[in-house]
Amino acid sequence: MKRMTEGVTEGASPVAPPLPAASPPGGVTASPGRVAGGPGPGGAAPGRKSRRGRAGWAPWIYLAPALVVIGGLLVYPVYQLGLISFLEYTQAQVSGGEPTTFQGFGNYATLFGDEQFWQVLLATVVFAAACVVATLAVGCALAVLLTRVRALPRLALMLAALGAWATPAITGSTVWLFLFDPDFGPVNRMLGLGDHSWTYGRYSAFALVLLEVVWCSFPFVMVTVYAGIRAVPGEVLEAAALDGASQWRIWRSVLAPMLRPILVVVTIQSVIWDFKVFTQIYVMTNGGGIAGQNLVLNVYAYQKAFASSQYSLGSAIGVVMLLILLAVTLVYLRLLRRQGEEL
Amino acid sequence: MSALSSVKSLRLLRFPTRLRVRRPWRLAAEASALLIAAVVAFPLYWMVLSAFKPAGEIESTEARPWTLTPSLDSFRRVFGQQEFGRYFVNSLLVAVTVVIVSALIAFLAATAVTRFRFRFRTTLLIMFLIAQMVPIEALTIPLFFLMRDFGQLNTLGSLILPHIAFSLPFAIWMLRGFVKAVPEALEEAAYIDGASRARFLWQILFPLVFPGLVATSVFSFISTWNDFLFAKSFIISDTSQSTLPMALLVFYNPDKPDWGGVMAASTVMTIPVLVFFVLVQRRLVSGLGGAVKD
Amino acid sequence: MKFPVRLPAGFPARRSARTAAPVAALVVAALTATACAPQTSDNAGGADDKSGTLRVWLFQEVSNGPKEKVVESTVDAFEKAHEGTQVEVEYIPVETRAQRIKAAFNDPKSAPDLMEYGNTDTAGYVNDGGLADVTEEFTDWNEAKDTDPTAKQSVTVDGKIYGAPYFVGVRALYYRTDVFKELDLEVPRTQSELISTAKEIRQAKPELYGLAVGGAFTYGAMPFVWSNGGEIAEGKAGSYAATIDSAAAQKGIEAYTSLFGDDNCPAAKCASMGGNDTITAFASGKAGMAIGGDFNHQAVEAGSVKGKYAVVPLPGLKAGEIAPAFAGGNNIGVLKSTSHRTLAVDLMKQLASKKTQGELFDAMGFLPTYSDVRADVAKKEPFVAPFVETLGAGTKFVPASPAWAEIDASLVLPTMFQEIVSGKKNVATASKDAATKMNAAFSSAG
Repeated sequence: MKRMTEGVTEGASPVAPPLPAASPPGGVTASPGRVAGGPGPGGAAPGRKSRRGRAGWAPWIYLAPALVVIGGLLVYPVYQLGLISFLEYTQAQVSGGEPTTFQGFGNYATLFGDEQFWQVLLATVVFAAACVVATLAVGCALAVLLTRVRALPRLALMLAALGAWATPAITGSTVWLFLFDPDFGPVNRMLGLGDHSWTYGRYSAFALVLLEVVWCSFPFVMVTVYAGIRAVPGEVLEAAALDGASQWRIWRSVLAPMLRPILVVVTIQSVIWDFKVFTQIYVMTNGGGIAGQNLVLNVYAYQKAFASSQYSLGSAIGVVMLLILLAVTLVYLRLLRRQGEEL
Repeated sequence: MSALSSVKSLRLLRFPTRLRVRRPWRLAAEASALLIAAVVAFPLYWMVLSAFKPAGEIESTEARPWTLTPSLDSFRRVFGQQEFGRYFVNSLLVAVTVVIVSALIAFLAATAVTRFRFRFRTTLLIMFLIAQMVPIEALTIPLFFLMRDFGQLNTLGSLILPHIAFSLPFAIWMLRGFVKAVPEALEEAAYIDGASRARFLWQILFPLVFPGLVATSVFSFISTWNDFLFAKSFIISDTSQSTLPMALLVFYNPDKPDWGGVMAASTVMTIPVLVFFVLVQRRLVSGLGGAVKD
Repeated sequence: MKFPVRLPAGFPARRSARTAAPVAALVVAALTATACAPQTSDNAGGADDKSGTLRVWLFQEVSNGPKEKVVESTVDAFEKAHEGTQVEVEYIPVETRAQRIKAAFNDPKSAPDLMEYGNTDTAGYVNDGGLADVTEEFTDWNEAKDTDPTAKQSVTVDGKIYGAPYFVGVRALYYRTDVFKELDLEVPRTQSELISTAKEIRQAKPELYGLAVGGAFTYGAMPFVWSNGGEIAEGKAGSYAATIDSAAAQKGIEAYTSLFGDDNCPAAKCASMGGNDTITAFASGKAGMAIGGDFNHQAVEAGSVKGKYAVVPLPGLKAGEIAPAFAGGNNIGVLKSTSHRTLAVDLMKQLASKKTQGELFDAMGFLPTYSDVRADVAKKEPFVAPFVETLGAGTKFVPASPAWAEIDASLVLPTMFQEIVSGKKNVATASKDAATKMNAAFSSAG
């Protein structure tokens, strides 16, 4: 454990390691600095002893406001969520018409006994994964593109992306549905598809929603990764280019490793957001698609539970979603740690 | 090294990277950038266009990408709503408060988890990560009772408080990188120069981390500005405390939706965010860049 | 249940009291502010103040001005008649009504004394303990005698009355006069004529849907079931049983779903359509016929078919019969938690009076719930005649069970229609599955 907690800020040593000489030290996680031979894990960093070791009360004072707010408005409600998931709790109980009764794992049994739940779970995982991959690919590709163009096209792309980012999800979904409407939309007209319906087939409906999700979430990835690339010292890239490396190679061997911390952040965020996608599915497939073929967990929970006030069942689904996200993230963090990185 | 020169060298390093790319390639890249920009902007254009189309033309079999008879009727219906101006001010008030308060709290917390070593540090970090995963829809019920018991229902406070809570974990998570990027030597130097902890925090660290704060603010601003969920759950009996998304939802009537109104209201809602974006664009990029600087 | 912080292996498991204490203290400080168990609320109501402020929630319509005017004049008269009483009216968006109304049940302090609500929600709200029983006042109310039976049924749960009907909405058959003339078609008089006419239109004009139908358009489909003698469910509150899989109901489902196909309304497009989509198709000139409500009149008028359409009641099985329509509409009810019960009931009567409903029709086109007032307005405004006729022929209502809200929200019926239309299941299987789901909901709702 010592190794872990002590060996973290290594990169923060003012003595800059050779490669990223031009960049300031300190990094989100593993710095390329470490890779390039900076003080490695466990290496006794010079000049850092003192306050670090015995922080005392100071950090807790700094953390106090955050902990109060998060504890009161997030942790406590999550605790209640868990509690509710073990009770019989419908609107009748909420308004005091009927007493609450303890159900044990009854709600979970109902949930797991429902065949549809498993189908929806599978669809959610696959769909979220597709969204994450597509969003990251588009975002990263456009970020690289941004570094290749002059100010005007860059500004145009940036503004368009920021516009997509700023649009409320409910509006974005509505507009996309308009664009792809078989009767009234311009897309079929432009592509000469006649009155092909995009929302009829299960996969084409998911594909349409995926397009919208990518449209509204790639800007975050693009802007963040672009910012990251700009922070990479130019000499490194030039050296690589002079060596005759292809674009793909430069990305793979130079940029991606250096951008790893930022890629970690955008990946985790995308996983979290896409797994919880609600508005797009709800609006674009009219509440889950034909005969519920496009349901994802969050919409399923809403239909099963909140729309009809079966709060306990809804809470149980909420808890299950939380646990899945948790598992995914922890596995991911574990992998990172195994590669010697730290939070 | 004095604190000052450190700051300077840090700034120097923020210089943009410019790659030399061969001409034909660059032209091709620029052409595709413009094309992609057009594709990405097209749905937005369609939104604004639909807002200006007269009733009946929005859903017409002639899907024309222009309109010959632009009309302000949809906007009139939007602005003609009871207390529309009030909603706008409320939205702004909530979003700005959330942005400022959560930025300050997150700054302190991010400082704590990056500049100190203490027990439970990693646990806390993981907790901040987990906190972002909670499906918000599921939490509205417990939050509702919490707000009721605090007497906050029907006040802007019932929107501000949960939004701060939901913005914080992400903000802290993002800000860590920025705080870390400030060399420790700077801190040592500041103390040697006799600065107090508070002085270091607010006069040296804060300005350095500011671009990062701007970048994270974008997230809290957007999620707060566009929020329907809390607004429709916690503002129950006092419409004077409502926010803009409520003015948009009026047009989603299940039996007879008013698409012109939806598009006009959305346009009105999106503009302030775009303005905010354009204002902070440069800082956003340089700010987010700070998160990866190594 | 504990907050699920699971530490990955390799994390320090030891906790030092020194550092844990402050965290614990902070969290506890936040927690003790509230009780630990999930909350319930007390909706008992109680007092019956004879003066003070009455709060009223009405739905905000898209063009709300005229409604506000009518309400204002009623409220002014009420305030004059009751010294020391103020009335505050708030207009809430229809889209968010569910959250708000539930929230109002949960926080009586925020709750109004009186509210407008969709008539399919009656049983649910009663079950939630939100609405006050006004049976006595309603029975003694002079004007209520003329309330039409279906409207009365929509405020009745288990024989008790929970409000006053405010207006009704009903659907009929819109058709294109120009298309019928061009193709030399007769207005259909029976259900089978309706279906064959629809297919003729499609054949002659493949760019049109014959009759625009939607897989998610429950209230457009139900008349087919009802006219064949089927029902969604039968029984009384507390003991409903689904009958959507009965032979009669299946015949109706068969008839409706036979309209999905390339010979009328291609499944690929029509399976996902809801009521509003079918009307949009009609309004934009994409359909020869559609099943639309009196409330869709404006949208059709704004479309490209203005002046080229007419409306007749939806035909039943035999010539001269009208297919029973779903009676939608809104009611006004008094909340159980009100502390001004007498005043609130009084205002309810004023807002739902014959006079006010007549004015509301003039302002908004909402159909009155009184048979006699409705006959009057039909004379004034010929457009509403087919709708009034449909209402007069007898309408149907959804099961008055609190489970209906759940069945409706979990899209049981749209799913059933869509399963058949998309060929995933046949009528027998799909209707049986729907019945099973409904019965589960009925039994769990008690």
